[in-house]
Amino acid sequence: MYPLIEIGPFALSSGGLFLLLAAIVGGWLTTRIAQSRGDARFVSHAESCYYTALLGATIGGRLWYGLFHPELYGLHPGLYFALRVEAFAWPGALLGGLATGWLWTRWRGAPFLPLADAIALALPISLIIGSIGLLLSGEAFGTPTSLPWAIDLFGTTRHPTQIYLMLAGLLSLIILHWLSTKPLPDGALLMALLGLQGITMLVIEAWRGDSLLLPGGIRAAQIAGLTLMIAALLWARRHVMTHPQPAPTHESYATVEITPFNDS
Amino acid sequence: MIALVVVFGGAWIAATRAQPADALDGRAEPSSATSAAPSFALPALDGSTVALDELRSQVVLINVWATWCPPCRAEMPALQTAYDHYRDQGFVVLAVNQREDAARVAAFMREYRLTFPALLDRDGAVAALYGAPYLPSSFFVDRQGQIRTIYRGPLPPRVLAATIEQLLAEAP
Repeated sequence: MYPLIEIGPFALSSGGLFLLLAAIVGGWLTTRIAQSRGDARFVSHAESCYYTALLGATIGGRLWYGLFHPELYGLHPGLYFALRVEAFAWPGALLGGLATGWLWTRWRGAPFLPLADAIALALPISLIIGSIGLLLSGEAFGTPTSLPWAIDLFGTTRHPTQIYLMLAGLLSLIILHWLSTKPLPDGALLMALLGLQGITMLVIEAWRGDSLLLPGGIRAAQIAGLTLMIAALLWARRHVMTHPQPAPTHESYATVEITPFNDS
Repeated sequence: MIALVVVFGGAWIAATRAQPADALDGRAEPSSATSAAPSFALPALDGSTVALDELRSQVVLINVWATWCPPCRAEMPALQTAYDHYRDQGFVVLAVNQREDAARVAAFMREYRLTFPALLDRDGAVAALYGAPYLPSSFFVDRQGQIRTIYRGPLPPRVLAATIEQLLAEAP
């Protein structure tokens, strides 16, 4: 565990640094992927959508974390605005980013799904980088276990949930890039990512030692994960399984009248 | 397909529900043998020096922690609640921070509204003295200055309350 990285006189949080790195790499990858999937306008909108969604993810991640820590955030609402990188929750960040990205496209009059597909292709690598940060900082730690691959953390041997998350990110990366070569409609990559994230939350959360809990010991992230899986399957049933379509050409994007930016 | 996902997903969620103390679980060390709590004196955030020996006749929880340690942060509200509840009966928390600067610790204590004393173990000497390689580690010291329970890892609130009440009930 290397929770702090010392750079000169500064001791910086490794989790925070990797989170920042994940966000920067995600932005860079979004640009690269958008360049391979559309024209300059598509690239410009993908970048704007990404950074807007990133802001929404930040807000959503903190809200989700705070709502499940009423003993702290309920008493001290100022904590919602604290510059504390570890106080975020991924389900809230995912939903917040999704909602904000969608709202941004509505506001700009841009088609949501082609943009979301480009960003979805970029996200697994960001997730892998973020998981490395979790492993270094000890965040998202697992429950105690005596399994042979357990790691020694916080007084006992625990499930290496951070490594499980890393492997899930790697699997998502492979599957999404394989799907990106197939003739699928716009939105398929986003839905695949949401479905894979749903499975990840549903399965891996079971071994988390720091789960945010609902009454009865239900792990909130598992509910979010199952909901994402169902949403992705419903979308796939409607758009892929019953009405197979040719590969997207992004003509739908090109023919849409985009509201010009008003820089004034 | 969707029905199967709902059924199996729901069953998995039910089967993997967290038990009341699962989210914060550490490991208690056998407490049959007691030993005298090693003396130490450390600077507090307000510039004063706090010595363990001066707290004899009180029940002391020595919590070895750091702001970067997730379970340490997670258990802080419970420590504050216990401190608020039992302080008048002779209970005190000494939060022995490991190797962090005063400004960082002070910001954390302020942000989390923690009012018990935070002590600065700048070189980790007290953690070494107590044999606390893991964070968090908690040492319950009775009114006679004996270590009665050691808890490695996150401290479940019910263990916290039960141990404090047991030690407070003993005659000074």
